[in-house]
Amino acid sequence: MKSDAQRKLGKTLLVLGRLALAVIFLFAAYAKMKPQAGMNWSVASVKTSLAMFAMGVDSYQLLSTAGVEFVSHWLPPFELFLGLWLLTGIALRYSALVTALLLGGFFAVQFHVYLQGKEISCGCFGPGERLGPLSLLRDASFILVAIAIAIGAFVVHRKRATPALSGPPAYPTASPDRVG
Amino acid sequence: MIRPVRVLQEMMPRGNWQRRAAAFAGATCLAAILAAGSALHANTKNTQTHAKTATPPSAPVKTYGSKNAQIRMEIFSDFQCPTCGNFYESTLRPLINDYVASGKVYIVHHDFPLQMHAYSGQAARWATAAAEVGQFESVEAALYDNQAAWTASGDLEKYVSTAMPAADFKRIQKIMEGCEGPGPVAKGGGGIVPAPHACSVDAYILQDLALGNQLPVTGTPTYVIYNKGQRLPAASGMVSWPILKNFFDSLLAQ
Repeated sequence: MKSDAQRKLGKTLLVLGRLALAVIFLFAAYAKMKPQAGMNWSVASVKTSLAMFAMGVDSYQLLSTAGVEFVSHWLPPFELFLGLWLLTGIALRYSALVTALLLGGFFAVQFHVYLQGKEISCGCFGPGERLGPLSLLRDASFILVAIAIAIGAFVVHRKRATPALSGPPAYPTASPDRVG
Repeated sequence: MIRPVRVLQEMMPRGNWQRRAAAFAGATCLAAILAAGSALHANTKNTQTHAKTATPPSAPVKTYGSKNAQIRMEIFSDFQCPTCGNFYESTLRPLINDYVASGKVYIVHHDFPLQMHAYSGQAARWATAAAEVGQFESVEAALYDNQAAWTASGDLEKYVSTAMPAADFKRIQKIMEGCEGPGPVAKGGGGIVPAPHACSVDAYILQDLALGNQLPVTGTPTYVIYNKGQRLPAASGMVSWPILKNFFDSLLAQ
């Protein structure tokens, strides 16, 4: 049976990892949508930033024009939503799973393009960051954190759902022999 | 009470949770700062312009359109680079015929021949010599249209000669006297490999290479877009015309 200290450490790491992932996704969304040089925040400036992000997506040369436009318009708001979802901690096992799948998809695409020798921007945190070993290593570490959080969240949920596995109950239960 | 605070309270002994909550918050902030730091570094490095990417006043004209256009696009490219060829044929051509012709965009070409391409330095020399006699556009088109052919044969002169009147080609040949052998090229890590036998047009190519290394250009094509004089982050790789057009439209609407 795990000690209280070990359980608390696990819960602490779960919270820290969840918050770190939330901040990463919120920052990623912000970096893609923030106004470019000389512009103030407005609907028009966000459209321009998303159009610039579309150029980065297009440089991967993996999607059609319609596909590029879809990804560039919906990915940043989805990252914003995912960051907020992680921040709240609601249904963590599902938010962490979605996070891990999304990051895994990003990594697979970037690794594929990197192997092709293309010198392009990663586009992960806005324009300007080159796709290379450092960005791949960083994204791989994010995936590991997301997977760890997802596993931890499922384990915690399982323990809550089956109290016998997590030790004696905190409150006395009625004996089956007791009548009335 | 919000969920994260309740979780923190449940997991810690009473009386200590405030101190430990502060430690947890600090650790979380540190993780977030480290994660964002690498991205900020990339963004900051790119937006703090080291290079003023403008055509040096003494260089031959390798531009398209009106200097008064709202948008200026400076392109660093290698004539032997297949992606640059694709970029020119699929994106630059419609851009020049549409947005440059209507005065919306001004294009500045910078040569950035890469060491990995055997004839790119020489191609840059021919293009620069052509620019000196006002034939840059036709030579650029000829070089990209026949990229596969001269990449295989190394015979650039054949395709340059067919791109212009004979009189202009003779002038270019005169400029290119003494320009045998490979031209100056960029090598990985921001270095420049000068030509074994320097000639008159090399100075302009070296200027472009130095400008590119300040960005830095790590691959071609790399382009920097200015909107109303404000520099946007440099980007590299292929971009299709509909996507680029959409971006320009959003800038023009500002």
